[in-house]
Amino acid sequence: MALLPMERRLRLAGWTISAGLLIQLLTLLWVHPLAFVAFLMIGTPLVAVGAAYYLYFLILGSPREPIREPMKDEVS
Amino acid sequence: MLNTTTLEILFIALAIYLSHLLALRPELTRARGGKIVGFLALCVLPAAASWTGFSEQMDRSKQTQFCLSCHIMSDHGRSLYRDDLSYLPAAHFQNNRIPREVVCYTCHTTYTLYGPLQSKLEGLRHLYVQYLGTPPKPAEIKLYSPYNNRECLHCHDGSRSFEEASGHSDPDVLQQIKSNEVSCLACHDQVHDVGSLADATFWKEPQ
Repeated sequence: MALLPMERRLRLAGWTISAGLLIQLLTLLWVHPLAFVAFLMIGTPLVAVGAAYYLYFLILGSPREPIREPMKDEVS
Repeated sequence: MLNTTTLEILFIALAIYLSHLLALRPELTRARGGKIVGFLALCVLPAAASWTGFSEQMDRSKQTQFCLSCHIMSDHGRSLYRDDLSYLPAAHFQNNRIPREVVCYTCHTTYTLYGPLQSKLEGLRHLYVQYLGTPPKPAEIKLYSPYNNRECLHCHDGSRSFEEASGHSDPDVLQQIKSNEVSCLACHDQVHDVGSLADATFWKEPQ
């Protein structure tokens, strides 16, 4: 199924957020200052960027998608 | 029974699952319910999970295990077991005067993460020196600023044993101690002293 432009952005936001959350999760399995720094400087920014990207297009809207003419077999 | 950390990890795992699901199948958001799930999965849950993780990381950073996880601090950790109670850290640690699981943080409350911005930057510098620079010898490690009596007084202030101790009984001296004009370490000067650990004997904690 072809994705709408907004859905492609949503997919990118989803991957970014899940990558950030995965890093956060892994850092919780290790009690060490490096884990703390990785949490704060890699995991959290990835989550923040992903969420901000999603919110940006959700609130401000994506560029108007071109209106596609209905194909013949779609017209009843 | 699940402990708090396990619950936090499960919560973050749930957030990962939902954001991953939407990354794989973004078309789920076409329905009204999907839009709500999308907002929860890509905004609310990640924010909540990050806050949960941050809170857990902050708690962990107070733990003795956290501080001693850097090899350079291992001698300071060993000094807690010195079999000589004239040393302040050993006396406090071995007699449970401070919680053992947060022993470093209890006496160094403004160190690195918990201090002002300058201290936080120093904490990052420690990591840089540890992994990319040339770490000093443990005996060469010094505090950046003189030890503040506040760290002692937040437990000792007002206690009878402190106020009536022979060295503190003079009201002027007591006032100078409380106002940080005279350092506690001016008299109680046996602290970690890791340079002398090679000749020390150590207390074995009963199992």
